[in-house]
This record gives sequence, C-alpha cells and structure tokens, in this order.
Amino acid sequence: MAHLITIFIAAILTHNIALTYLLGMCPFVSLSRSVKTAFGMSFAVIFVITLTAAINWPIHRLLVYYNSEIISYIVFIIIIAASVQLVEMIMERFFPSLQASFGIFLPLITVNCTVLAVSLFMVLREYSYIATLVFAFGSAVGWMLAIMIVAAINEKLKLIGDVPKGLRGTGIIMIIAGIIALAFLGFGGMVDIK
Amino acid sequence: MKLVRLLIDRLYDIRALNKLKPLIDAVDAAMFGPAETTEGGPHIVDNVDLKRYMSYVIVALLPATLASIYFYGWSVLRIIIVSYIVGGVVEVIFAIVRKKEIHEGFLVTGLIFPLVLPPTTPLWVVAVGVVFGVLFGKEMFGGTGRNIFNPALVGRLFITIAFPAIMTTNWQVPFTDAITSATPLAVYKTTGSMASIYDLFVGKTAGSMGETCRIAIIFGGLFLIFTKVSNWRIPVSYIGTVFVFAAIGNRLAPGSIAPPLFQVLTGGLLFGALFMATDPVTSPFTRMGKYSFGILCGILTVLIRSFSGYVEGVMFSIVIMNALAPLIDHIVLMLKYRPVKI
Repeated sequence: MAHLITIFIAAILTHNIALTYLLGMCPFVSLSRSVKTAFGMSFAVIFVITLTAAINWPIHRLLVYYNSEIISYIVFIIIIAASVQLVEMIMERFFPSLQASFGIFLPLITVNCTVLAVSLFMVLREYSYIATLVFAFGSAVGWMLAIMIVAAINEKLKLIGDVPKGLRGTGIIMIIAGIIALAFLGFGGMVDIK
Repeated sequence: MKLVRLLIDRLYDIRALNKLKPLIDAVDAAMFGPAETTEGGPHIVDNVDLKRYMSYVIVALLPATLASIYFYGWSVLRIIIVSYIVGGVVEVIFAIVRKKEIHEGFLVTGLIFPLVLPPTTPLWVVAVGVVFGVLFGKEMFGGTGRNIFNPALVGRLFITIAFPAIMTTNWQVPFTDAITSATPLAVYKTTGSMASIYDLFVGKTAGSMGETCRIAIIFGGLFLIFTKVSNWRIPVSYIGTVFVFAAIGNRLAPGSIAPPLFQVLTGGLLFGALFMATDPVTSPFTRMGKYSFGILCGILTVLIRSFSGYVEGVMFSIVIMNALAPLIDHIVLMLKYRPVKI
C-alpha cells in the first residue's frame, strides 16, 4: 500500500510527466489558453491513459510470453487508437452530452504522446498490474495539474500581461513551463518512482 | 534645484536623445517625483502611489541589509551594487527597446535578490542570476506589476539549479573572512543537533546574507504590515502552518521533521513569508485565496525541507505557489460567484 502511494505522489510531483519529461507538449501548448478547455482535455486524458494502460499491461505480458516484444510499440499505438475510437463510439451512443463537452479533444488524444509514454514506462519500470493503474492515473493527474496551472496563468496574462510580440502564444507558455519545471526540481529525491 | 530642472528640460529637447527618453524620465522622477498617477498594478486604494509603495519596502529591508553588512562585512555591499548595476542595465535596455518607462519595481528586486544569496557568492554568479531573474521573471511578462513569478526568486532558483556547488555548500560564518560551515537546517539534517534559539534570533548562524538576523527581518516585516503595504493574511497563515505542521510532524517522525520553533526561525522562512510571499502581484488577490496560498506554502516548505534532497524549501514553495496563484483565484471566484442555473 505504501508503495502504491509513493508511486502516485512521485507520478504527480517528482516525476511529473509534463514538467519533468516534457511529454504531451502539443496539447499542452495549444489547449492551455483557457481553464475550461484545459479542464475538459485533462479529464479526457485521465480517462484514456488509465484505460489504455489497463489494456496494454496484459497484452504486453502476452507478447512477452510469445517472445515477440519487438512489435510492442506498434501494438500499443494500435490499441490506443482503437480504444479511443471505441470510447468515442460508446459515448456517442450512450452519453451524447458528455461526448459533446469533450468535443474534438477525444480523437486528439490518440496522438498525445503521454498516453504511449505511460505504457512504455510501465514496461521499463516493470510495474505490477495494480501499480500500473496507480501510475497511469497519477501521471494523468500530474499532467492535468501542469496544464491547469499554465492555463490559469495564461488567462491572467491575457488581462494584465504585456508579453513581447514575438513571444506571445507558444513562446511564453514554454517559458512559464520552464520556470515551473525548475521549481518542481525542489521535490527531487522526495519519493522514488521504482 | 532650478538649474537641474532646466538641465533636464534641455535634455528632453535634444532630438538625438529621444531614444533615451525612459532614462531621462527616470532621472527626472528620482529628482522631482512623478507627475503622473499609476497605470498598472499593484493597485492600492490609498493616496500612496507606486513609487512611495516601493520605497516603503526598501525602508523595511534596510534593517536586514545593515545587519548583513555588520555580520558579513563590506563584500555584501559589493554584491548589492553588482545586482543593482547589472539588473538596472537589463531594465533600461528593455525600457528603451519597448519604449516604456523604467519602473521603480526594480529597486526592490535589485535589493531583495542579493539578500537571499550566500555571502560568498562570486560576483559573476550574482550577475547571471539577476539577469535571468529580471529577464525571464519580469520583462518577458511585461515588466513591473505584470509578472507571474517573483523575479528575485526566479533568479535565485536558476543559479541554485545551475551552480549547486557554489550555492549550497559555502556558507560563511559571521564575523570571519574565510571560515565556512553548514547552515543550521543542514546541520540538523545530518547530525540532528540544533543551533540555540538566541543565536538564530540575533543572526550568529550561517545562512543567506539577509535572512540570518531574524530580529531585523521581524521589525521590517511588522513595519510593512502596520503601514498596510503588505497584507497580514499570507505571513500569518504561512508561518502558522509551518508551526502547526512541524509540531504534528515532529511527534510522528521526530527524525526527519524538525521541531516547530526551530523550523520557523531557520532558513529563509521569515524573510520569505514577510517580504516575498506577500508580493501583491504574484499572490492571489482574493481573501480565501491568500489564506490557501499561505497554508499550501507552509505545507510545501516543511515537506521539501524534511524529505527532498534540498535542505531549504522556502524558495521552491513560493515559486510553485506563485504559479498556482492564478488557479487558486480562479477556483475561489468560481466557488463564490457560481452562475445560477435557472
């Protein structure tokens, strides 16, 4: 139990997937203009990351059993794309209002590299099934924390900021993310991810 | 006086100097006081303008500055001068390029930044830090009153990560030239022994230049709170949380979490809580937001001090909370002014 809590905290703070590994930067930059869109996107990400990690773990075991680990990258990507499609179809049929609120974000998650990264980290660090689920959920929550912080800062900057012309948009988001990443280094050594 | 006025007016007339207008403006303002009212933040509802506001902070910082010169000698003054000159050049260049006024906010940043450095910091590291802090902490966001992070802390954060050997090991002992020792927090972390409360109060322990003499800091901080330049909510909730959290934590895990009074009096806590967390631009503006800002700062400080690889947690926790401040305000406003569903 303590091990699982450690993994969860580490995935959010010390090994934050957006601020430490700089993964998932495309939606991070493009969707962090307003808190509302960032909130919608991060919920979709939490859902998909946890689901795909839960499916990918047994499949990876199967590939190891048949000694064909070499194709695991392709298999992971296919499963991610397929499960996103499946989720979208199910939601369209049964929860149309929820699907409407996710909008374009759901299909976009297919190309969000955090999703693939979580599946690859799970292989690399040899997590058990439960640990994988906790790690996937924690990583997604960490990504949500990062994008929400940047989105709120962006909204404030829209009101009071006077960013130089060349830095508006992507540039200032990268600078903000960099400063926050520096500050998150302060958590270094607090908990270990293994 | 009239002669100076005439000279400055003549300078305005010379066309070749038009590009340097911000610089002339600054000299004009320093000599005669500003004629205009404030345009941007930090706003206050009082007959105190931005310039007076900043000079109050400088006055409040004076006791700590004088104490650091007393304890560590004239090298402190050298570091402050380097910080002012190098940071001032960056500020002036930006003002000229972007055709804006030079803001007096830099006078505070340029003094706070050296006060949070170790006394033995080489001058080139001071210059690197102040350039990074002013450039990426302030000018990128539009200058004074528009910054998201505390510029002095951004500068210190950068050089702490970039030059860890310089920034975390050489702590000069007061009244000596070359003898170095570990800070009280580092000593506690390695051996478990604590410096005496009296030494901590007066400032006879190793530490950053401006943070060691706690009496001077408390005087300056109280001056700011009583003149209502800074708000009491953040320092009270910040220091209170550290005290309570350390008291509980010390019972549960006495080996890693230091006792409460020691926590409050060591490191940069008092300096950070009274001078840096209270910055009205980088902290939440809602009342509930201010309390939660202070409480979260306190929790993060104790956690980072006790469990991470770094000994001191005030700098990291304030920068992290600066980043979170807009989100806190957003949540508070959302909870308070929820749109009514009909």
